[in-house]
Amino acid sequence: MSSSEDLSASPPNLVTPVTEVPRWRALLTNQLTVLVFILIALMLFLGNHNSRFFTSSEMSFLLADFSGLVLVAVAETFVIISGGIDLSVGSVMAVAGVLAARAMQPLINSHTNEAVVLLLGTGVALLVGMVAGAINATLIVGFNVVPFVATLAMWYGGQGLALVWTGGQPYGLNPGAQTWSAATIPGLPFLSWLSLIVIGITVVLGLVLRKARYGRYTFAIGSNNFAARAAGIGVKKYVGSFYVLSGALAGLTGMFFDIRLGSGAPTTGQTTTLIAIAAVVIGGTSLFGGSGTFLGTVLGAAILIVVQDGAIFVNVSANWVPVVVASVVAVASIIQSGRLRLRRRS
Amino acid sequence: MSETNSSTPDTTARPPMDNSGGGQPSVPLLALRGISKNFGPVQALQRVDLDIPAGQVTALVGDNGAGKSTLIKAIAGIYAPSSGTMMWNGQEVHPHTPRDAAALGIATVYQDLALCDNIDIVGNMFLGFEDTSAGALDEISMELKTVQTLKDLQVSTVKSVRQLVGSLSGGQRQAIAVARAVMRDARLVIMDEPTAALGVTQTANVLNLIKTLSSRGISVLVISHNLNDVFAVADRIAVMYLGNLVSNGPISKYDPSSTVELITTGASERVEPHPLHSFA
Repeated sequence: MSSSEDLSASPPNLVTPVTEVPRWRALLTNQLTVLVFILIALMLFLGNHNSRFFTSSEMSFLLADFSGLVLVAVAETFVIISGGIDLSVGSVMAVAGVLAARAMQPLINSHTNEAVVLLLGTGVALLVGMVAGAINATLIVGFNVVPFVATLAMWYGGQGLALVWTGGQPYGLNPGAQTWSAATIPGLPFLSWLSLIVIGITVVLGLVLRKARYGRYTFAIGSNNFAARAAGIGVKKYVGSFYVLSGALAGLTGMFFDIRLGSGAPTTGQTTTLIAIAAVVIGGTSLFGGSGTFLGTVLGAAILIVVQDGAIFVNVSANWVPVVVASVVAVASIIQSGRLRLRRRS
Repeated sequence: MSETNSSTPDTTARPPMDNSGGGQPSVPLLALRGISKNFGPVQALQRVDLDIPAGQVTALVGDNGAGKSTLIKAIAGIYAPSSGTMMWNGQEVHPHTPRDAAALGIATVYQDLALCDNIDIVGNMFLGFEDTSAGALDEISMELKTVQTLKDLQVSTVKSVRQLVGSLSGGQRQAIAVARAVMRDARLVIMDEPTAALGVTQTANVLNLIKTLSSRGISVLVISHNLNDVFAVADRIAVMYLGNLVSNGPISKYDPSSTVELITTGASERVEPHPLHSFA
């Protein structure tokens, strides 16, 4: 009789922390707190150093750069949590961007309806990205090629194809692209439509990783492949889908750069792969798979972009920027590993 | 407190085998007849006949290489037997994959392999069968069911069902794996060396869990090298020797020394070869 009452009353009590950790340490060991703190500190430092930093034009510039990174970084988060890695995203961006631009250029020159042009470009970029992802998936799932090698081949081959299909010359997309990238949300001059769309997709992906079966299986596969299979999860199907997802988002990012830069250039995305992986790692995702967070990756990407763009505000010359970014990656990694040590000790 | 759980609607009802008052043996939950398995020229199992009655704990003992693991793999759908039949509640069945076996109600519990360390207890309990509402994982529903199942099985050592499985002890992991099987309505839980590498307290917890399962009408087939454990929980013993099932019957017919004799030599003067269908 009383057991049913017990049941309805008891569950909330069970959701209590396992061990009591001192509050300061709990706060310090929470990776998101640390990342938010670093991000805010960086921005305050830059704002303090140069009053132009917090203007809406600079913020819109930051957001645009962030948008060009965050999709591939989030895709990489899925892949890495599942226990793999995708090195090809940068090149896939380039190939997709180039082919989308090649499709759009004649239409822009003949003043076709803008919506048609955008739809066609997005479709081509998405398709190219997914095809590249599907090739990765086939190599990895079908032929048991190690993800590192399969996607390395795609990365190198993609760079070549991007050059072949452009002859080294970018496809110009102006004036169309210029007006599209400049369009901002009324009342929010720092937020372009383009960035808003990217942020929207990002949020959806974050919800999928955290709240949907798809996300749960991403963690399960990376955590214990055998257990995932024993539980009846179609591991091969899911692993393949992570690379197709990654390719699709790289393709969309290629389209994003087409619009942002006003051209489809073969050199797009040359550094993106490694910066995206750096963002994931700074965000606290384990390269061994099985653990990681969406918000960590988003914050990691934001920190890297703020450092890269902000370096100019403290008079770092352009050639030194990669060195500064590299230092931040190194320091952030040290903080992350220190955090893990602290947590283990507690 | 002890019997309040029997009011839950699911698997608590005793199977019909116990109400055969007239000495007529009822249909066992699982009956193996002439199960053989060879790997090329190697005969791993030779015409094994074994009945597993519902709601009882059967201990499968034998030396290394006696064929215990091959036998449970045949039952669990991992190996297809070379010949012989398998009857489940009197119906002939042929589970070809672990998923087939699970659909019948046969669950195999692996000590370390089958849980995800980086996922919490609730997530592991429901892995592959998550409750969802409107496309999102229904964490509250899953948590409630997890708490209830653990309560039913009297698993009280787990502090929070939101703990990551990686932080659990071997015995706790075992309990979670068993609870997962019970929640999937398993009728037969197979455990391979469940107490190996466990400390004293944890071993006691796992043995209690096995008793709880059988008291809920769930059959348990447990492989063990530890005769203390066997005599602590088993209702029946089945002894394998070089691929043959040399003896099986109610535990009252055995004592540790005759069991050791059977395990090491395949025969014992003090235990007569046991005919089939003679449940105590």
